[in-house]
Amino acid sequence: MKMNQFVNTTPQFRVLSDDQIERIYFSALEVLERVGAEIYNEEALDLFRASDAVVVGDSEARGRVRVPPSMVEEALNFYPSKITLKGRNGERSLFIQKDSAGFGTGSDLPFCYDRETGERRRTGYKDIGMAAKLVDALPNYDFFMSHGIVGDAPNPQTYDRHQFMAMIEQCTKPMVLTSVDGEGLEDLWRMSCLIQGGENEFRLNPMFVAYIEPISPLKNDNSAVEKLLFAAEKGIPAMYTPCPSSGATAPATLAGMLVQSLAETLLAVSLCHLKKPGMPLIMGGVTTLLDMRKSTYSYGAPELALASAANTDISKWLNLLMFSTGGCTDAKVVDEQAAAEMTTNLFYACLSGASLIHDVGYIDSGTNASLESLVLNEEIMGMCRQFCKGINTEEEYLALDLINEIGPGGEFVTTEHTFKHWKEWFLPQLQDRSDYETWVNNGSKSMTDRINERTQHLLDTHEPEPLDEDLHKELVEIMHRADRRHS
Amino acid sequence: MTVEMKSITDSIVKGDLEEAKKLVEQAVEEGVSPDEIVTQGLIVGMETVGEKWKCDEMFLPEVLRSASTMSKAMDIVRKDLSDTVTNMAGTMVIGTVEGDLHDIGKDLAGMIFEGAGYKVVNIGIDQPNEKFVEAVKEHKPDLLGISALLTTTMPRMGEVINSLKEAGIRDEVAVIIGGAPVTQEFADSIGADIYAPNARSGVDRAQAYFKNIA
Repeated sequence: MKMNQFVNTTPQFRVLSDDQIERIYFSALEVLERVGAEIYNEEALDLFRASDAVVVGDSEARGRVRVPPSMVEEALNFYPSKITLKGRNGERSLFIQKDSAGFGTGSDLPFCYDRETGERRRTGYKDIGMAAKLVDALPNYDFFMSHGIVGDAPNPQTYDRHQFMAMIEQCTKPMVLTSVDGEGLEDLWRMSCLIQGGENEFRLNPMFVAYIEPISPLKNDNSAVEKLLFAAEKGIPAMYTPCPSSGATAPATLAGMLVQSLAETLLAVSLCHLKKPGMPLIMGGVTTLLDMRKSTYSYGAPELALASAANTDISKWLNLLMFSTGGCTDAKVVDEQAAAEMTTNLFYACLSGASLIHDVGYIDSGTNASLESLVLNEEIMGMCRQFCKGINTEEEYLALDLINEIGPGGEFVTTEHTFKHWKEWFLPQLQDRSDYETWVNNGSKSMTDRINERTQHLLDTHEPEPLDEDLHKELVEIMHRADRRHS
Repeated sequence: MTVEMKSITDSIVKGDLEEAKKLVEQAVEEGVSPDEIVTQGLIVGMETVGEKWKCDEMFLPEVLRSASTMSKAMDIVRKDLSDTVTNMAGTMVIGTVEGDLHDIGKDLAGMIFEGAGYKVVNIGIDQPNEKFVEAVKEHKPDLLGISALLTTTMPRMGEVINSLKEAGIRDEVAVIIGGAPVTQEFADSIGADIYAPNARSGVDRAQAYFKNIA
């Protein structure tokens, strides 16, 4: 009989201790009390003016808000610890909760490589459709962000509706959506309510999370705050995602960046609570550095992986859900650098237990879209999932009787035990494990060759479940109404 | 209800030994010739397995289960087979050279050959050259499989072939070699007849070799 056993069902990984998190948290509260944050939105400033916060400003629509810890801590009690998303495929498939990782793409990349010419060009409606199709086909992706931006929309002020159409036509999975402003988010929400069957159904079965970001350091522009307030009012899940670059828009120390990023988050925590308690708010952060040689915002730095994992530790301590970052790179093409960086930041984001991991497939420091990168990451995510299964140490898995039975010099290949358990292993789809001669006979293909073939094959063969025609018309009508308003 | 060869084939692909034995015994009772059972049923099953293995539709443990099923089902009728059918597969002696204690590659290869209908005599690991010579004299195999995993023991495969020459029996058996450090170039340099880069290809290459010299 066994006693006093602890079992690690999964591997364990942590960057910060509780004491370290407390120090970062107290510092973030201190920032909000002493420095505060700037807000460029009248309604938000009015909400703070009517509260215990101090608002100083030279106009109605712009002010510096300083918030006492009591307001932050009261608000922190009201956020849900679980959000479940349901894609238009009807499956409640994405459980956003602590220590349960969901993978997805990033959004709004201005460029991509044309698969036919090899030239870099602006992304458009069709490119988003292709990315959507791949994400729909590849099982390791749990949610879809647009990957590219619809650069060929009739008006940049309504691109978000066109982008959502391009996404929803080819992808049935839950989504994270960017929007131009409050009005844009409202249209996306209305379109989604049509798909889900009304506002109340959407609240219980949301199909998307709204992506919103402040401007580091400590600034909140009008459109971001509009979106946040609209999401709070309607109960739309939203993430407020600071994107500080250590050394440029945040301190050069990772701890300092985490303090500032948390202060930016906690301001949103207070504001949303003032608007309407209980909205499904998700903490976020693309916490990385400015490369001091090339002046670029790095998506492949090990500091991104480290700070992101630390940020997830903080989110769990606060009982907030976490939107983290991984599967991204600074490499200009899908090459060895890309594979090294994407694998590193994806593994650590996954191990940290972030609820959502986005930007999978970003290349060129978050400016370039690559379908091949999406396909490569499918394999890396599969490896992550396998690693996170951990090691089972039950009797059956210790296999003591089997080792005894086989003895020295025997073989295990033909045993029933092997027959049963080898299927628990990860089965690579792209990695080559053949012997040299077989590899040569199959054309001496590199990983790049195999990725290209797989990408083309999926684009040629995958058929996403089509949208209902009448529904499609209604969605397009909302999009066209927006175009007319802005023409 | 007569046994269809197709269902024997299916039982081999599934690796269902009980089913395969039952069907073969039933077919014998019904008067189906052992030759037909083997060539139209069992061998077709293993050919299907081989094809599925090549395109990653079946995996090693399943292939070995099918191979073992085939071999055991064939035992039921082996003694009653015509010479033609017996010779279709033939006998194989297999072993690992002196100084090398690695079992698994050789054992897997042996199982795969058994699955192709060969009668396989496994003489084990760490075998001195003369043991290979004795085994060839005793069992008169069509095929001698020599295995080495280490670059340090690899040259001994050439020594085994030389010993066969010295004993005057080199031409009586085809030598097939394999193992991680082995290449076609090395196989040629020591005068081996067949080189198998992996377990999958061994049977195909052996059959192609015999077809070629026939």
